[in-house]
This record gives sequence, structure tokens and C-alpha cells, in this order.
Amino acid sequence: MTDRTENMLLVGPGLLLLALAFLLPIFQMLSLSVTGPSGLTLLNFVNFLGDPFYLGVLWRTIRLSLLITVICALIGFPLAYIISKVGSTMRLWLIAILILPLMTSVVVRTFGWMVLLSRSGLIPQVLQGLGLAHRGFALIQTETAIVIGMVQVLLPFMTLSVLGVIARIDPVLEEAARTMGCSFLQTVRTVVLPLSLPGIIAGSLLAFTLSASSFVTPNLLGGARIQVLATSIYNSVTQTLDWPFASAQAVILFAGIILTLIPYVRLMGDGRG
Amino acid sequence: MSDVRLDAIMKSYGPVAVLHGISLDIRSGEFISLLGASGCGKTTLLRIVAGLEEVTSGRISIDGRDVTALPPEKRDIAMMFQSYALLPHLNVFENVRFPLRMRKIGTRAEQMEMAAAALATVQLGHLADRRPRQLSGGQQQRVALARAIVSHPKVLLLDEPLSNLDARLREDMQVELIELHKRLGLTTLFVTHDQDEALSLSDRVVLLNNGWVEQQGSPSEIYDRPATEFASNFIGSANLIDATIVERDGRPMAMLADQQCLALAAGEAARGAVRLALRQEDMQLAASGSGISGTVRTRVFLGAQNRYVVEVAGATIRVLAANAAVYATGDPVVLSIDPARVRLLTR
Repeated sequence: MTDRTENMLLVGPGLLLLALAFLLPIFQMLSLSVTGPSGLTLLNFVNFLGDPFYLGVLWRTIRLSLLITVICALIGFPLAYIISKVGSTMRLWLIAILILPLMTSVVVRTFGWMVLLSRSGLIPQVLQGLGLAHRGFALIQTETAIVIGMVQVLLPFMTLSVLGVIARIDPVLEEAARTMGCSFLQTVRTVVLPLSLPGIIAGSLLAFTLSASSFVTPNLLGGARIQVLATSIYNSVTQTLDWPFASAQAVILFAGIILTLIPYVRLMGDGRG
Repeated sequence: MSDVRLDAIMKSYGPVAVLHGISLDIRSGEFISLLGASGCGKTTLLRIVAGLEEVTSGRISIDGRDVTALPPEKRDIAMMFQSYALLPHLNVFENVRFPLRMRKIGTRAEQMEMAAAALATVQLGHLADRRPRQLSGGQQQRVALARAIVSHPKVLLLDEPLSNLDARLREDMQVELIELHKRLGLTTLFVTHDQDEALSLSDRVVLLNNGWVEQQGSPSEIYDRPATEFASNFIGSANLIDATIVERDGRPMAMLADQQCLALAAGEAARGAVRLALRQEDMQLAASGSGISGTVRTRVFLGAQNRYVVEVAGATIRVLAANAAVYATGDPVVLSIDPARVRLLTR
């Protein structure tokens, strides 16, 4: 047996699984989205793009995902830098704390936020007590709640992506920058930040795609009123039982994510070249 | 142009003292080598001058200004690192311009001009657009040098900059460094573990050992008159042999363990037990004649010359000899040395 056929045999089961579990459903989804009562139709897409409510849902999904990604990057980059600089024991603890949220079930974690953010929850109560919020103020069922919940989940992805890159930056480069007239913050800005860009890009990619397609957290923290694309798809499937329309929304979500992926992948390519 | 003054610099990491109170005055425009084996504290001392390490106690001043508490960016120094530390995300030209940009020296146009001039100094103007990783080690090294001199710093710090180059390139760079120093007159502190490099490049050599200054002086002083056993062993790797000074016919002689005697320069006082430092390149080897006799144990062929390991009075002596005559293992030989080249160290 040649190496080539051996390789094909080894890769076969994986490819088969990918085809059955990923490509087949996607193909079905695509075909369902253009299926109407009387054959092929683009009606589902027209309905979506012509309806201000659904356009609002789409815009909210994009806006919140971007906001979540940016916040994750703003927290994740300094956090990763600190983790890369502390001693090995401290580093272990910080990473453990960082990935702890991923070890609890999404439902438990989100219920935790519901308790904290609801009208009688800790955070609104404290804000009211400090006179920073009016009576009856609640964070639950707001976009803020979705952002808070999602940032907590996605921060580890961002931080670990950046950490992987930042840890490989030669510390001598930072020392050299200091001897060339950079203050500490200038060193971070002109040396560390540009060199950790591949990690920030990879982390942003993860954070954006995961938050754009997330369902449980927005559903529980945003409530029925504040819908994102994933919850809207779920509603179409379970409440209006309009599978073709749900498929059309899924295709739009899928296409949107692919579209954001392209410039990112370009950026990554530039970084390497 | 500036004086650098180090005043009783001490540095310890926890209970481990690395530098034990080092004081050093560096005159403006002087080229000083810090020479020592690895772990002697020479790099730590350089990093302290750069501001990358804090002193445990002591004072550093540059040009009369106390900089002990200042961070590196406020010291007006430039440092060249062993690994060159070129910024991989900037091209060669931007790397060289970087210190000017960060120190806000001159307008943009002036910066471009200065960076181009510095690159021309190291003859790399044609590679300005390359990324550092597209350059060879020698080219990277010259970019690092251009970057270090571009801002005309008060003090130029060089941390073993030649140690990653192959022998040929290193010789070329030594010549280039000497010429550059002559032209720019920058006060330079050069760290090296290579005695040849230290002797050939510097105005003054500071020999460090275990965090102490063992000896300092001009290269010829250090080479010809090593003050201590460590110095004579480290510089030129001399042979050290125990002897007793005796007087024969009114002239001082060094008597070895087997009663053989070696003539000393007139005027050496009888000091009793001493240790002789005999440089391997100072001794002559002959089949017969006057001198001390011994037996060849090993011959190492070095190309232009041979290194012989000769057994004399129970000790081994290494001798560098030209290829004129070849001795084999076991051959009896006679060693002689100019009395003026024998150094006496107190035991």
C-alpha cells in the first residue's frame, strides 16, 4: 500500500463524519431555505430582508457581537500580558480562574447572572443603594445583560488566544524598546501590541462567531423581547413552525459569519507574509 | 560626550551577591571592555548602566547627572543586545529610525536622513526595505549596530554583540567597531568573554571575577602585567608553576620542585615561595641547550603552529611552538623563556 492511499484511508473516517454531520445538514438547510409551497423561491429571504423587525434582529446580532468582541479584546489583551509576565504559580492560578466559567454548565452560569442582574438581585440593588440607579432598575432582559453574560463566557477564548502569541514574544524586544526611549506603555503599544495581533485576530474571530451564533445566554438574559438571530431562528422553528423561514435566517447568519471571516483570514495572511 | 561614573555598585538577588561594590570611571569617548567568564557579573553591570536592572546599592551618573533611579528610556543610552533584538514587525529602515521616533529627535525628514546615514555607515542602505528575518546573522548584527548609533547616544552599551557570528565575520566586525569608534568617539562599554576581543578593541580592559574587579588597565598592561593568578590564567591562559626564589652567582633564579632553575630578570627580590606565570606563546622549545628539561606528553596540531604539553617537575606546561621542528610524544625537550617574560605571583 502506498503512503498516499494509507493517508486517504486514515483521513477517511474523519471526512465521512464531517460530511454526514456537517455538510449534509448544511446542504439540507440551504435547500430548505429556498423551498416554497410551489417549488423554488426566494420569498423567505425577501420576507426577512423586507421586515424592519428582522432587520433589527440582524443588526442587533451584529452590533452586540462586535461590542462583545471589542470588550473581550480590551480585557483579554492586558490580562494575557499580565499572565505572561507573572511567575509560574501565579500564572496557573490566573488561568484556572479564567477558564473556570467554562467548566460550569451554560444554564447554571446564566441562571447565576439572572439572580445577580434581576430587579431584586445584588448588582441593581447595590447601584440603587449608591443612588446610581432609580427604583425598579434591573439589568435582566437588557442588551447589557447579554453583553455581560457573553463576555464572561468568551473572555477565556480571547485571552488564551492572545496568551499563546504573547508568551512567544522575546522579552529582550521589550528591553530593547526601553533602551530606545519607550516608556512602559509605549513599549506595550509599539512592540507588544503589534506582535500579538495574530492572537488578537484569532481571539476576535472566535469571540465574534461564537457570540453571533450563541443561543442560551441571549435567550435567558435578553428575554423574549430582545431577540438575536439565534433566538429568532429557534422561535421560527418551535413557535411558528416555519422551517423554511428558520432555514433562511440560518443561511443569513451563516453567510454573515463567512463574510466576517474573509477579511480576518486576509489579515492573518498579511501578518504571516 | 560624557563621563560615566559607577560608584560602589552592589547587586544581589536575594541572598546571592552578584556585584560586590564596583566603582569605575569611564572617560568621555573611552572604549572600555568588561571582560570575564560567564557568571562574573559583567552583563549584570551593563544592564545596570542601561537601567534594565536596579542596583541594590551604589550610584550611577552619566555626564554628571545621577541616573541611578531613572528608567532606561530617560538615560540617553543605546544598547546592542547579543541576540540583536530587532523588531520583527518593522523593516530594517524603521528599526533604525525607531529610537529617533521614540525619543522624538528631529523632524520626520531629519529622522529619515539620520536613519539613512546610520544604515550607510554599516553599508546596508540597499536592504532598508527588508524585514529582519530576511537578513543573515551578520546583516542583522549591523542593523542592530546602526540602530544603536543612530541617535548619537551618550553611552553605547554592547552586550557580547559579536559572539553569535562566525570567526571570519567577527574579525571583520571588530575592525568595523574600531573604525566606527574612532569616527564617532562614542563612550562605549563592551561586554565580552573573549580576551582577544577585549584586548584588540578597547582603550581599557576591566577584568571581572565573581563580581569583583580583578584588574583594570590598558590592554598591554593587562596582557604584560597580570596582577593576580586569576588574571594571568584568564588572559593568555598562562602556565602556573610553583617555585622558590633562590640566588645563584648573585642572580635571582626560580627553583622548581625538581631543583631545576629558571633565570629571572635581575632585580627580582628573593621572595621565597612564589608561583610562576609562563605564557605558552612566550616559551621556546628545543631538543637541547640551556633551560629546563622535560618530556613531551602530547602534541596538538594547530595549523600554523603546534601546542605541546610538556611534563616538567611533575607539572604540565603548555607551549606554543612554530612548526620548524616536530617532537613526538616521549621526546626529551628543553624549555627556555626570556627572563623578562616570567611573571611572579605571590603564593
